Amino acid sequence: MTTTTTASVPARSVAKSGEPRTILAWVLQNVVWIWLVVLVALFGLFNEFFFTMFNLQNIMVQATVLGMLGLAMCLPLLVAEIDLSIPANMGFSSAVGAIAMSQFGLPWVGGALLGVGIATLIGFFNGLCITRLRMVSLIQSLAMMIILQGALLAMTRGKTLTQLSDGYVWIGQANVLGGWPIMPLVFVAAAIALAVLLRRTVFGRSIYAVGGNPVASNSAGIRVNAVKIRTFTLAGFLAGIAGFLLGSWQMAITSNQGDSFLLYAIAAPIIGGVSVFGGRGNVLGVVGGVLLLTVIQVGLAIVSVPSFYVGMIGGLMIFIAVAIDALRVRMFS
Amino acid sequence: MYEATATDPSGTRPRVLLSMEGVGKSYGSFAALADVDLSISRGSIHGLLGENGAGKSTLVGIISGQKQRNAGRVVLDGNDIERADVKSMEGAGVFLVTQEPMIIDHLSAAENLMLGVWPSRRGMVDWRKLNADAERILADTDIPAGARAGSLGAVARRKINILRAMFSGGTLIILDEPTAALTVEDRDQLFDFMRRLKGDGVTFIFISHYNDEILEICDAVTVLRDGVVAGSADDLSGMTSEHLSELVLGRGLELFERKRSDPRVTAEILEIRDVRGGALNVPHLDIKPGEVVGFAGLPGAGAKELARALFGLVGVESGTLRIPGHAASSPLPRTPGDALRAGIAYLSDDRRGDGAVSQMTVGQNISLSSLDRISHRGFLNSGDERRLSAHYFDAMEIKAAGADSVVDTLSGGNQQKVCLARVLATEPRLLILDEPTRGIDVGVKQDVLRIIDRLTDTGVCVILVSTDTDELVRSVDRICLFADGGIVSELHGERITSERLRELMGARRLELPGSDDR
Repeated sequence: MTTTTTASVPARSVAKSGEPRTILAWVLQNVVWIWLVVLVALFGLFNEFFFTMFNLQNIMVQATVLGMLGLAMCLPLLVAEIDLSIPANMGFSSAVGAIAMSQFGLPWVGGALLGVGIATLIGFFNGLCITRLRMVSLIQSLAMMIILQGALLAMTRGKTLTQLSDGYVWIGQANVLGGWPIMPLVFVAAAIALAVLLRRTVFGRSIYAVGGNPVASNSAGIRVNAVKIRTFTLAGFLAGIAGFLLGSWQMAITSNQGDSFLLYAIAAPIIGGVSVFGGRGNVLGVVGGVLLLTVIQVGLAIVSVPSFYVGMIGGLMIFIAVAIDALRVRMFS
Repeated sequence: MYEATATDPSGTRPRVLLSMEGVGKSYGSFAALADVDLSISRGSIHGLLGENGAGKSTLVGIISGQKQRNAGRVVLDGNDIERADVKSMEGAGVFLVTQEPMIIDHLSAAENLMLGVWPSRRGMVDWRKLNADAERILADTDIPAGARAGSLGAVARRKINILRAMFSGGTLIILDEPTAALTVEDRDQLFDFMRRLKGDGVTFIFISHYNDEILEICDAVTVLRDGVVAGSADDLSGMTSEHLSELVLGRGLELFERKRSDPRVTAEILEIRDVRGGALNVPHLDIKPGEVVGFAGLPGAGAKELARALFGLVGVESGTLRIPGHAASSPLPRTPGDALRAGIAYLSDDRRGDGAVSQMTVGQNISLSSLDRISHRGFLNSGDERRLSAHYFDAMEIKAAGADSVVDTLSGGNQQKVCLARVLATEPRLLILDEPTRGIDVGVKQDVLRIIDRLTDTGVCVILVSTDTDELVRSVDRICLFADGGIVSELHGERITSERLRELMGARRLELPGSDDR
């Protein structure tokens, strides 16, 4: 009873019509990197200074702190939670370390370790709050962010801490081989370590499982709360390192250190394909997101866009990246 | 009935409402559907039959606009459908009524009926009109317009969904297993309702696992198997249930029947003692190695509760367990992790919420409960993992492109196989299966039951919780009947029959096989 005029459409056409879609799928999957290449080319076209070695080094340095924060931020996102206090944690913990050095004569190594330790503890505490106390991470971490920002302001009395020892600021200033900064190596190492952790370890696999389906993960024998606590703790640790690097690079800790990073630190993983619903995303994507955001920031400065417009244009570029990502999710899931 | 509606009253519109030609859908290299032809007459009820993974969901997904086809042509009411989404297909009158009725419990029947199309006046909901309209629509049913939806029975909820689709302009309504949670009386009531709507010119696509339902209500049927049309009929008068089963399976169906044994008590016995807490009170239960014990009972009677307590999913006040091979008995596990380490594995009845991690791959799901075994100092051994996953992927005969397919893309029955594979990969001594065959088709059901049967040769103790009496009778060595949190009677050997079990469970009517309790 079917009309037979077009019934001869071969079943194999499935495979044929699949090809353009797979190319499109590839483009959308890698949109961060394509977008990055396009922007680099564009900025380079506008100002050839963009392609100089000096600027490349500059971008790498700029990307380091945001990169550490992006890695930290992606961890709670992967377990379907969020930690808004990460950038505030970065500022607060480094200030505690710096004050311990200047007030109590702690050596710089001790100060740095103290800062990282405090940040790790705060991450651990956040983990406890959202698991044992079942607080909603969005609000819990918002409150923690405000507390830490306030504490930083109170500790510094609104002044900028600048008495950082030579040892403390070394990593942020040191160069090798004629001007190559070594600070980005920390980010590279952290990204590799986190990638290995997520892909190759039981803990990493558990993070994806918990983020994907916590109830099923529990039944599969995974200790969901323990995984979440460890994830938040690790995020705190990374925030602590970011704090040390930022202080070392700026040679100063301001009374609102880290505040401006919040939205970029959330945007970078999401642009890189980390799902806010948990269980999806990888380190390479985060790195792509970080580089993209950094290139936009540096690029806009270099092509001398009037500073009044930088925020707006930068926001627009992020908007486009997120819109393309949404399109990808819509078409291929 | 079919002939009566075949001639369209208006006489001008084509008799065929929906036709599909050469429709295909593939995920990567895996073809979920290939070259499907389908033709649905206006004002008919068209059955869609097939095993899980045969492509039913994909096909109705394409018709309803949820999924995009890769190939072929779809003509609805004489119009070629190019790219469509749910909104545009609903605009064209195609509505999908899913298995889980989309009902908001705390709203009234009337509000649910008008969900999204609430009549409004100056931006405010026009309550008077809403209630008047709803009462008119619900007049033919026995549903009070003001009743809280949460207080309504399963059949009323389904009726509301169907009516809502109609009220929103639906002319082709797809019912995805609408009888899944219904009793026989409810089902008959639903069928009467469908026949009446059909008389009003509504066209239905009716998905079911049950041949008798298809034969009773449908005018025509299309059977899918492995993504292609295995057979179709425009006239069901000469069709038998056996013939449908053959089309579905591609072979005659043999229902699994376990060879009941009373294992010799030479080996050590699994002992469960003094489980108390919550509503549970089970002083004594022994399970022999290689024995399959069926847990039966009405919802809340304790069968499911004991199963979950043994796996550490619900806390109990007291209770001990001795597993063969362990010298002493120990308290019941407090977490699933403890249970798994003790050699106890559990398969949940809630496949959607507590089944697979759907965005991970098949292989990653299979190994999820065995990560300790395939890792060294916290680092996964990818070779070991591949071998483990591949072994169970093959053993379970999972239908997917490969172990690295994402679970999301698999059908319900295959997802259930993935979950079973994960559980079996832990090599348990006690295997607890909670409704392992619910909502999966008859072919996969037999696969699952056979897998469990073979497993007992290795001395694994199996607890099978099921509300499907016939299936329970066919696949266990002993049945424990639960009531009020305890075991009230046991059936052994010859005495295990469906009749006896139903009798014991009392005057209360049992639910349909494969149904879920609501």
